[in-house]
Amino acid sequence: MSVSTAAYFARRAAQKERVQILYRRALRDTLNWAVHRHLFYQDASNLREKFDANNHVEDLDAIDRMIAEGEARYNKWRHPDPYIVPWAPGGSKFTRNPTPPAGIEILYDYGREDND
Amino acid sequence: MALRAVLLRQLRVPVQTLALASRKSQPWSFSSCIRLMSSHDDHLSKEQVIGRVLDVVKSFPKVDPSRVTPDVHFQKDLGLDSLDNVEIIMAIEEEFKLEIPDKEAVKIDSCNLAIEYVYNHPMAA
Repeated sequence: MSVSTAAYFARRAAQKERVQILYRRALRDTLNWAVHRHLFYQDASNLREKFDANNHVEDLDAIDRMIAEGEARYNKWRHPDPYIVPWAPGGSKFTRNPTPPAGIEILYDYGREDND
Repeated sequence: MALRAVLLRQLRVPVQTLALASRKSQPWSFSSCIRLMSSHDDHLSKEQVIGRVLDVVKSFPKVDPSRVTPDVHFQKDLGLDSLDNVEIIMAIEEEFKLEIPDKEAVKIDSCNLAIEYVYNHPMAA
């Protein structure tokens, strides 16, 4: 009996993580679509209400089905040009100017010659 | 002519030592007027990180600001939901201009972890 409850809790924890990641991506997508902050706040509260309405479901299979539906809806609404932080992979500054390795120096001598 | 050459040779200062000196020293109070050689070396101090993270958490509408301390747990001490956790982490990402991968963001559960993560992140602004 304890084995099944441990497995049950493990599944619930995994589902909780999936829901959190889905909510995170959906929130970021909402910010991508609704750039102005007042619109974003309204859309974010709508999204939160949708998630909260299904908060109390206990059946594992129903939760799995709802997560799959949510992910399908997220995939359908993904923004084509999301905002990514510049230095992150996919951003505009990614691998643009890596730090110069230590020990490399530039000696500015402006063309001065040694026999001058 | 030879004296001038000797003098100029004495004054030849390589650029590298200046860069190393500015990178090794602690961020000075007037560091804004010194041009640092690399774009990756303005590290935030721990007090700044703690102050800003606590400000972000306190300005969350579902949080009671008087109960926020640097080692408070979001779900146990502040009574928040796991989705509220996600929202707080997104607010911290926006504050410090970070991009936290999904797997690690789910694991940040308390102020302690958030402060440590931001402090150890090389690109925290």
